[in-house]
Amino acid sequence: MKELLREKAALFWTIAWPIIWVIIGSFSFTGSAPEEVVPYIKGSIAISMMVFALMIAGMSNLPASIAGDRANGLLSKLISMPIRPYKDFTGRISAVITLSLLAAALVIVIGFALGARFAGTGVQIPQAIGFIFLVICASAGVGLMAGTLIKNLQGAIMTGVGIAVITSAISGLFAPYEVLPVPLQTFARVYPISSAQASIVHLLAGANMVAYNPLTSSQVTLTIALSSAFLIVGTVLYTRLGWKLE
Amino acid sequence: MLAIHVENLVKTYNGQHVLDGVNLDVAEGEFYALMGPNGSGKTTLASIIAAVKTQDSGIVEVYGKKPAQAKEFIGYVPQENFSSPRLSGRENLVYFANLLGYSGRQANQLVLEMLRSVGLLEEADKRVAKYSGGMRKRLEVATAVFPGIKVLILDEPTTGLDPAARRSFFSMIQEIMDKKTSILLITHIGSDAELASRVGLIDDGRMIAEGTPDELKRKHAVEDVITVETAMKADSVLSVLKGYSINGKVAESAAGYKIYSQNGDRVLADVVRSLDQAGHKVMRIEMARPSLEDVFFRLTETYLQEATG
Repeated sequence: MKELLREKAALFWTIAWPIIWVIIGSFSFTGSAPEEVVPYIKGSIAISMMVFALMIAGMSNLPASIAGDRANGLLSKLISMPIRPYKDFTGRISAVITLSLLAAALVIVIGFALGARFAGTGVQIPQAIGFIFLVICASAGVGLMAGTLIKNLQGAIMTGVGIAVITSAISGLFAPYEVLPVPLQTFARVYPISSAQASIVHLLAGANMVAYNPLTSSQVTLTIALSSAFLIVGTVLYTRLGWKLE
Repeated sequence: MLAIHVENLVKTYNGQHVLDGVNLDVAEGEFYALMGPNGSGKTTLASIIAAVKTQDSGIVEVYGKKPAQAKEFIGYVPQENFSSPRLSGRENLVYFANLLGYSGRQANQLVLEMLRSVGLLEEADKRVAKYSGGMRKRLEVATAVFPGIKVLILDEPTTGLDPAARRSFFSMIQEIMDKKTSILLITHIGSDAELASRVGLIDDGRMIAEGTPDELKRKHAVEDVITVETAMKADSVLSVLKGYSINGKVAESAAGYKIYSQNGDRVLADVVRSLDQAGHKVMRIEMARPSLEDVFFRLTETYLQEATG
């Protein structure tokens, strides 16, 4: 964890970059909206950028750390030691969760300082936190897959970043759901990260900030199932193949 | 009991033999050096003994057990610098101690002892990024000498170190050996291999010779070694020198040309004269007893890259 927090590039892309977009978004994308809605639009932007930060933490930092450790011989060293892969796995996931939560907290605090307001109260807050954990699970799952299957360091990083940016763009993380073409609207509902993001916005910024209801039981079940599936597949791949150098 | 026993070991990658029937025994408390050029299979052999890779066929045992079942005895230091530059030396060691199940005060106490044993106590809280190459390698050796380790496998540990750092590194290794730890040193540097009690020479996945450094030199390189440095390298220099070397073998290295002769004292002056007549100025010429690199060259006609620094 300390290592990740001392890695300036990881901190920039996971925390500073989404914050920069919160700042830009807060001043640029609210111009024509009615005044009373603007704080909730800013809230919605802050949530989207928080989700993007979580995606970068899981999809880019995690494979970078796995591939980097493979390249610098640490994985060889660990394999030679009397330890089980799950110990290494637990350490990596704990680091990603901590970095993710730190990034999420900072993005939301900066958003709040810039005027973002959240309508969620009571039970909606723990529900939103639950969806945040689903985003972390799905992102970490993709990160584990990329780090395991792409052996080269640059390849692993670029694959993770590529998946994060492309899926964010086509699932409506950076654009309103209603402007997406129909196939992408379907993708946005199925892709667990955009679906969880819509759920968080629905819970914390208000139902009128989302063009569909992401909190139906079938939609929530799908989001939970796919997020868990991403993490399980990533974990199985990593523990079976990630610890093999042949 | 043997610390390491390797018998008829075979490993192939994409149909090519990387290790082809390798046999190797290292006794308890012995310092054994495995010397060979890049691509000779020595790192693959080390990684199989360290349980990082598996063999296609043959037997590998560490204290009578398969490597995967003997990990608590094995301390492996891969060739790469695997310690984290963003953490301090102490933090790096605590990380490994925690992975091995030591925690809290026990881990801190153990790490303190290890830092002391590798001479890094005063630098313990500096980030590894600020360590010299020698300090970093010593820290990495510390990760491989946790309690219970009986076999230390060092893969090219001195590559890139200056002579002073190499001396300091081997002083530390001597202290580890005093604790009866067996050491398998993988190297391409003859002067490092000279420090071992026995040396195995490996080329193209096969062990080509084995013995004490003196035995190897006596048996395979009885000649004097003459190193000649000319103002510039040229084919005509090579052809002059071939006439003076046994079997016409001339090794080219960063230090110049090397030729092998059974009566170096007499040949020395003739070489200078012949090169002068051919129009080549001799900058330096010296005679020495053969090194392990020379033994390797005599056996394979491949000259190992000399130590840098």
